[in-house]
Amino acid sequence: MDRRQVLKAFVAMTAGASSGVARAQAPRLRIGLTAVILADQAAFLARWADYLSRRLDCNVSFVARDEYQPILDLLFNGQIDAAWVCGYPYVRYESRLRLLAVPLYQGLPLYQSYLIRPKSAEVKVRGWADLRGKVFAYSDPLSNSGWLVAQGQLATVGIKAKDMRRTFFSHGHRNVAEAVAAQLADAGSIDGYVWETMRLQNMSAAGQTEVVWKSPLHGFPPIVVSSGAVHSRIHALQQTLLAMSGDDAGRALLKALNLNGFIAGTPSVFDSIRGLARSVPGSGVV
Amino acid sequence: MLARLPYRIQIPLGLSLAVLLTALLVTVVAAPISARIARDETLDTVDRAAVLLGAQSLPLLAADDTWEVFALLRNMVALLPGAASGHARAAVLDRQGRVFAGSEPAVLETGRYLLGKSVRGRSLPPPAAITHRVRINNDDGAITLIDPIRSEDGQLLGYTLIEVDAPMFAPDWTAMSKPALIGAGLAVVLLAPAGWWIGRRMMRPVARVVQVIERIGREDPARLRMEVPRTQDRELGRISAAVDQLIAEMQVRQKAEQRALSAERMAALGRMIGAIAHEINNPLGGLLTATQTLSVHGASEEARLRTHDLLVRGLHQIRSTVAALLPQARIEDRPLEIGDLEDVATLAQPAAAQRSVQVSTNADVESAMRVPSGAMRQVMLNLLLNAVTAAGDDGTVHAQLYADADRVRFAVTNSGDRLTRAALERSIAAESGNDPRGFGLWVCREIATQYAGGFDLDDTHTPGTRLVFWIPNREQHEEPLGH
Repeated sequence: MDRRQVLKAFVAMTAGASSGVARAQAPRLRIGLTAVILADQAAFLARWADYLSRRLDCNVSFVARDEYQPILDLLFNGQIDAAWVCGYPYVRYESRLRLLAVPLYQGLPLYQSYLIRPKSAEVKVRGWADLRGKVFAYSDPLSNSGWLVAQGQLATVGIKAKDMRRTFFSHGHRNVAEAVAAQLADAGSIDGYVWETMRLQNMSAAGQTEVVWKSPLHGFPPIVVSSGAVHSRIHALQQTLLAMSGDDAGRALLKALNLNGFIAGTPSVFDSIRGLARSVPGSGVV
Repeated sequence: MLARLPYRIQIPLGLSLAVLLTALLVTVVAAPISARIARDETLDTVDRAAVLLGAQSLPLLAADDTWEVFALLRNMVALLPGAASGHARAAVLDRQGRVFAGSEPAVLETGRYLLGKSVRGRSLPPPAAITHRVRINNDDGAITLIDPIRSEDGQLLGYTLIEVDAPMFAPDWTAMSKPALIGAGLAVVLLAPAGWWIGRRMMRPVARVVQVIERIGREDPARLRMEVPRTQDRELGRISAAVDQLIAEMQVRQKAEQRALSAERMAALGRMIGAIAHEINNPLGGLLTATQTLSVHGASEEARLRTHDLLVRGLHQIRSTVAALLPQARIEDRPLEIGDLEDVATLAQPAAAQRSVQVSTNADVESAMRVPSGAMRQVMLNLLLNAVTAAGDDGTVHAQLYADADRVRFAVTNSGDRLTRAALERSIAAESGNDPRGFGLWVCREIATQYAGGFDLDDTHTPGTRLVFWIPNREQHEEPLGH
């Protein structure tokens, strides 16, 4: 049983059991999750769903996907009510999305992209210019830290895709770390927050990799809703997220996420991503 | 070393060693068979893994999804024997024979050309040569399996590659010997006490035989024969029969020895009687001569008295000799006098005359002699007669009697062949009693011993032989040292 099946089973279980009989008839609120966080820990998601369900008086459930596009599709189709996506898809589909909350990481709604390499590699990558002829791992085609930043840096050093031996998407920041740790790739572009959180949790893939380069600060992956969202609990969801740092249970959940809290945020937080996307051909942002 | 151990230890130890040896031999024989079976099983597993990997990686290869192929390989390689120890690995290659993804990217680097190249000493065929599954068997036993991945319409998308190193096909001695050793250990645990019991049971009749043998010569053979164990075992039966026969033969030998001892005693008695007759006959010869002198010169008062005294002293000597044979008898005896030397010389004269031997005497008495005359006369006569015999025809014999406050010494010198100390000892040894004359010397040694004196050869005298007898010059009534 893979992670997706576990999550499906877990979501089904939590929908029926943890909410209780009282909320059986209450409206459902579905939140899509992507690889912007280490969201595949079933016990944590159960606690968070329960936390939100109690405060929103509705059945909150999470829908997790490895890639951004399926979550965006679900959001645009109305199959989920909110989604935690990357800043790049937010700026790309800004006209169809609305900011609900922006996480605070190390006290700021900002994070960095890392260029990482295997610790045990015989030939070490020291920077973007060394990637010529190398195997490189991206996270997701819609990831700012896992693709867009790398595209900008490669363009800066004049390396095109054909100049590298091979590139591939690993469908998640965590997988980027694992691909680089296993030396499947000589280097990879990863969300700095995810890598630091993996290191904080003593994950071996973080321990077997090291950071070569850190990007400038960019807007942290936000929680967004469709611009036409009409769910009655959306506003309450926003208020609950913003208030999470105000109670013990919320702080415990935030600690597990390695975050400080949420703010409402503004589109200007993502100006750096927006500018970067505009500089990268084919980014879909003009 | 094993042979030195008791049977109750040898048997369980031998059984245990036999079990262990058997287990080791079985393991040695079974190892190649087991290795061949294990190799066939491994090859079957590799074949199945190749089929599974090809099927699973087909859509991923078509989607150009390196990560998912890697994830697939990472999970699937666990099916391969030896993957956990790094002796097996798998990869999916692209159409050009480059690594699309490998289970061990550090070994199977992404994007590296493998087909048509030499990899870890294995020459792999070029992509064009691989139209169906190929298994390359290396000399060291390692294998490389390459299987094309084709779409349903036959389009070549890539290859699966599985490598299993030689150590995975080598006999696993540790794994194979473990059950053998465990089995041997259990067998030893069971056989050790059983073997000890069997050994003790087997050795019980042997121990009884040993006990009987140890008592041979100390206990009644008839009773020992009763105690020899009777057993159904042929070997032990032979031992018992041999011991029984040995005891029987010993019984016969003991009886023969008793008969021989009895005969020996009788012979010794005969020799003793002969010696006694010799001792009595010696003075009798002199006495008979004295009676002839008396009959011829009896008219002379002086000759008659002198002959009378000679007869009295000779008879006393005979009585002393007889009394010496009766230890319990108490004999009143007078001390030795100088005249006794002349008497003895006179008694020996007939023997000396017969051999034309010149006998001379000399007495040097500084102190009163308190030694018994009977014993001393016997000694002096024996030594004189022996000296006459030893001197041979026309020889000379000189007897000297010395006496001081401490001791009385009598020395006799003859001109015959030199007597060695060994020859003297042989002559006076109790066992060499065939010659009655040897008995005379033996009597001298015995008297010397009884009176705490000595009888020995004077090594310094030459030529001829000089024998010296001495005893302490003590009161006559003092008891001899013993008999």
